[in-house]
Amino acid sequence: MTFFEGKPPPDPGPTRVRPHGNLAVLRIAIVVLFAIVVVRLADMQLVRGEDYAERARHNHIQSEQILPARGLIYDAQGRPLVENVGFYQATIVPELLPESEEDRRVLYQYLEELLDVPYLESYSAVVQAETEGTENQGIAIKANLSRDEALLLREVESDMPGISVTIQPGRNYVGGETFSPLLGYIGLPSAEEWPELRDEGYQFNQPVGKMGIELEYERLLRGEVGWSSNEVNAFGDVVNVLQTEEPEPGRSLRMSIDMDLQEYIAEALEEGMDDEATTAAAVVMDVETGAVRGIVSIPTWDNNMFSQADLYEEEIEALLDDPRRPLINRALNPAAPGSTFKLVTALAALEEGAITPNTTIEVDSMVRHFEGDDGVLWPLWDWAVHGTVDLHRAISVSSNHYFYMASCGLQDIPGSGLASNVHESAYRLRYYATRMGYGDQTGIDTGAEAAGIIPDPEWKRETFDDPMFNPEDREWYYGDTCWMGIGQGDVTATPMQVTQMTAAIANNGRLVRPRTVWEVLRPDGSVEHTYEPEWEDVPVSEENLHEVRQGMRRTITDEDGAGRRARVEGLEVAGKTGTAEFTHADGRELEHAWFTGYYPYSDPEVAVTVFFDIGVGGERAAPVAGQILEYYDELQGEPAVRGGDE
Amino acid sequence: MSIALERPEPLRRSRGSLLAWNRFDYVMVLGTLGLVAFGLLLIYSGSRNVYDGPQFSLGNPVVQQGMFAVIGLVMMVIISRFDYHYLTHYWWVLYGASIVSLVGVYLFGQTEFGATRWFNVGPLQLQPSEFAKVAVIVTLAHFFHRWGGDARDIRAFLMSLLIVAPILGLVLIQPDLGTALIFAAIWLGVVVIAGVNQGHLMVLGALFIAILPFAWTFVVADYQVERVSILINPYADQEGLGAGYNPIQAEIAVGSGQLLGKGPGQGEQTQLDYLKVPTRDFIFSVLGEELGFVGAVTLLGLYLLVLMRGIRVAEVAGDAPGQLIAVGIVVMIAMQAFINIAVNLGIFPVTGLPLPFVSQGGSSLVSLFVSLGILQSVRMRNRAYRQY
Repeated sequence: MTFFEGKPPPDPGPTRVRPHGNLAVLRIAIVVLFAIVVVRLADMQLVRGEDYAERARHNHIQSEQILPARGLIYDAQGRPLVENVGFYQATIVPELLPESEEDRRVLYQYLEELLDVPYLESYSAVVQAETEGTENQGIAIKANLSRDEALLLREVESDMPGISVTIQPGRNYVGGETFSPLLGYIGLPSAEEWPELRDEGYQFNQPVGKMGIELEYERLLRGEVGWSSNEVNAFGDVVNVLQTEEPEPGRSLRMSIDMDLQEYIAEALEEGMDDEATTAAAVVMDVETGAVRGIVSIPTWDNNMFSQADLYEEEIEALLDDPRRPLINRALNPAAPGSTFKLVTALAALEEGAITPNTTIEVDSMVRHFEGDDGVLWPLWDWAVHGTVDLHRAISVSSNHYFYMASCGLQDIPGSGLASNVHESAYRLRYYATRMGYGDQTGIDTGAEAAGIIPDPEWKRETFDDPMFNPEDREWYYGDTCWMGIGQGDVTATPMQVTQMTAAIANNGRLVRPRTVWEVLRPDGSVEHTYEPEWEDVPVSEENLHEVRQGMRRTITDEDGAGRRARVEGLEVAGKTGTAEFTHADGRELEHAWFTGYYPYSDPEVAVTVFFDIGVGGERAAPVAGQILEYYDELQGEPAVRGGDE
Repeated sequence: MSIALERPEPLRRSRGSLLAWNRFDYVMVLGTLGLVAFGLLLIYSGSRNVYDGPQFSLGNPVVQQGMFAVIGLVMMVIISRFDYHYLTHYWWVLYGASIVSLVGVYLFGQTEFGATRWFNVGPLQLQPSEFAKVAVIVTLAHFFHRWGGDARDIRAFLMSLLIVAPILGLVLIQPDLGTALIFAAIWLGVVVIAGVNQGHLMVLGALFIAILPFAWTFVVADYQVERVSILINPYADQEGLGAGYNPIQAEIAVGSGQLLGKGPGQGEQTQLDYLKVPTRDFIFSVLGEELGFVGAVTLLGLYLLVLMRGIRVAEVAGDAPGQLIAVGIVVMIAMQAFINIAVNLGIFPVTGLPLPFVSQGGSSLVSLFVSLGILQSVRMRNRAYRQY
C-alpha cells in the first residue's frame, strides 16, 4: 500500500453514492453481443442453411456397394468347373484414417512390416483416392492375404483406424488344370483397365475376367452391383440402412466340354508324349454344331495361382520361365500342319479340275529333281516309294509327290499343277485354304487364339520387305508352292483350325465356328439363352468332299495307311496324319506329329485333332486320337449337352 | 481496509421478512426457469446415445439436471434472504478462499483434456473458479465502495487490477482461457460502471495488445494455441477427428437446423455422435440443429430478458456495492453465454465454457442460481426500499 501515496479513503459505510458509469453502456454492450450472435445465426441457418444441411447429409449417409455373386461355369454334364470363394484382403478406407500425417505414417509403416506393402504404395493410393474424391471407398492395398497374414491383421485391426481385413470375392477352379487356359482367371482391375471399367460401372474392388471364358463372357458373368445407402454414425458404424438395391447375380454358363473327356485327353496326351514331345494339344469337336467337347493343351497349369497371384509368385515365375511356355494354349497356337494340309490341296485340286479322283502318278523313287525357273535343281522328296497312287491312296499313304503334282505341278507330268503357273497355283490354294478356315481365327469363344499363316507371293513380298532380308528372299519360287501343297514352308495352322477343316469335310462343307459355351443360365438355373451354331459354306462340291472322305477312311483302313494306328475296334474312324518338318529353336531338324480325323465315317459325329510338337504323326498322334475317340464313344452312354440345335 | 470480524451493521431492520417477496424479481426467475427447461430438453436429446436407462432414475442426466435446478432454486431463495452486505463485509474470506482453492486445484485437482479445473468431492465436481467469480465480483464491489464507488482514480484502477490479477493468473495456468476471459470481462464491466477513466483503459488496452504476442508464445497453453489457430481456419485440419473437428461439426449442426430445426431428437449430427459433448459445451449446437433459428432466437430472448432484469437490479440497487455486484453478475452470465454460443457458431475458439442455466452440470447450475440469489438480495434491498 505504501506504493500509493496516501491511504485509501476511509470506509464510507452505508451510502447512497452510486458509481458514475452509465448502465446504458452495459445494455448496449449486451445487445451488440447478442446482435452479433443473431446475425451469425441467420447467416448460418437461413442464408447458408441448405449448404450445411447438405454437408450434414454427406456426413452421415454413406453408400456401400454390394458385389454380385459372379456367375458359375458348368461342364457338359452340369458339373461346376468353378466356385465362388472369398479371399482375405487388406483394405484401406482413406476416410477413416487418422487425420495427422504422423499417425498415418505409422500405419503405413506398420503395413509395410506386416504385409510387405511398400510404404509409398499405401501413401500414393490414399493420396490418389483423396484427389479423386473416392476416399469413402476401400482400396485393396493387398489382395489374397495368406491366412496367417489375415489373422495377424485381424488381431490389430481395431488399433488401426481405416485399415481392415475384408473378404474379396474370388474363384476356386475345381474343374482341373485342363480347363485353365479355357476358363482363364479373374483379378482386380489393373491400372490400365481401371479408367474404362470405371466408366462401365465397375467397382474398384470388383474382380474382372482377365483371360479365357472369364474374360470373353465377362458381361454375362459379372452381374449387377447392388448398393445400400446407410446412415453411419461418427464412429463409422452403420446405424440404419436407408435404401438397398440388391445386386443382380451374374449369369452362369454351361459348356459343351466334358470334364471326364478333358481328363482323359490330358492323360492320353501325357502318355503319348513318351519323353520326346514337350508340348501337345488335342481338340474334339462336334462336326455338325462346332460344339467343342474337349480341348486340351499340355503342359497344363493351375489357373488358381493367378487368382491369388500374390501367394504364388514363385510358381508363376517358374511357369513364365518354363521353356515349354505352358501358358500358350497349344490347341490355339499355330505350327506347320504338314500333311494334314494335303486335304486342302486335294479339295482345291479337285475343284479346280487339276486332278480327278482317278488321277494317278508313279512314285518309284523317293526323290525327284526338278529345275526351277531360275535353273536351280529342286529335290522333291517323298517319304516312301509308294508305287502307283491315286487320290485315295495318296491321302492314305500321304504321298508328297502326288500333292506336289496337285499343287505346284511336276515337270515330268506336263500340265500338272493347280493352275497354269506356280504363282497362280499358290493364290488358288490360298483361296481354298482360307475358305476352309486357315489363316484366320476360327472365332472360338475362349479367346487368345492365333490366326496362323497361309502364304502367297504377295504375302512373301510384304513379309520379307525389310532391308535385313536379301531381295531374293522376297521372291516366290516354284518350291514355295510345292511346300505349301504339303503344309510345309511358311504354312502354319492351329489344331483348332485343322479340326474345323476336318469337321467341314465330315459335315459336307460347312465350316462351323467352334464354341465351348452353349447355354446361358439364370441364377435360378433356368436357361436364358442358347447359342445357335454358326457356319460358312466351303466352296467345295459334295462329291469332292466325299472323295476326300474316302481317302481319309482308307488312311485308317489300309494295311499300310499312315493313320492305321488310329484304328479302333468297332468304330469307323477316318483321318489324316501329318508329320511336319520344322527347325527347333535349338537348331535340331525335328517333326511335329499330327493326326486329324472324325468318326463315324458313314455318319460323322465328332472331329478330333491331336498334335505333338515332336514326333511322327502316324506313330505318335494317330494312336492317341484313336484312344480319344474310343473314350468319347464310351461316354455317349451318359447324358450330355450336345450342340445348340439339340 | 481494516478487517472486521464483527457482524455488519444491518442497513435497516426489515419490517417483516414477508414484505421482501414483493420486491423479488419473479420475471427474472421465470426467464431462468425457461432456460433450464430448454436445457432439460436438449440434455434429453443429447444424452440419448449415452444414457438408455429408465426415465425416472438418478442416473438419467435429465433427472440429475432437474434436481440440481431444484437445489439451485432453493439456494437462490435462501441466499436472497441474506443481506448482500454480509458478502461485502466478509469479502476477504471469500477472496482468500478463492485463492486457496485455486492453488489447491492447481496442486491436487482432477485433470481432464489437459486442464486441471476441479476437485472431486464424492460424486460432485467442484470448480473453484465458479466460486471465485462471485468472490471477485464481491471483492471488486467492496473495493470500489470503499473508494467511494469511484474508479476514476488511477490508484483505484490499478488496485482493482491487482485484485483480479492473481485469480486470473491462477485460472490461466489451469489452463482455462475461457474463464480467464470471464474474469477480465467482469473486471471491465465493473470498472466501466464504476466510472473508469477512459484514458487509463486505453493505455491498458494498448499494453495488453503489446504483450499479446509474448503471451501467445509463453503463457497460453499449447492446446489453447491450437484451438485459437484452428478457429482462424478450421478447415485446415478437416481430414478427420482433428482439433478442428468439433467446431466444424458444431457449425454443420447449427447451420443444418435452418429455420425450424429438425425436431427434438431428430438431429443427425447430435444423434449419430458427430457432435462431441452435446450436453455441455456444444449444447447450443443441439439447439440449433433440432430447434432451428426459431429455437435459438427464443433462447437468446430468454437470456436477454434475464440480463435486462439483472441490469434493472443494478439500476435500482440501493448502494454502490449492490450495483457493482449486480453488474458483475450480469456481465458474468452474459459473457459466458456469448462465448459459449460464439464457440458453437465457429466465431470463437473452443474454450470449454458451459452455456449458463442450459448446459448439463450441477456445479455450474447451482453456482449460477447462487449468483441469482445474490442478485435478488440486491433487488430486495433496493433504493426505493431503503428510502424508508
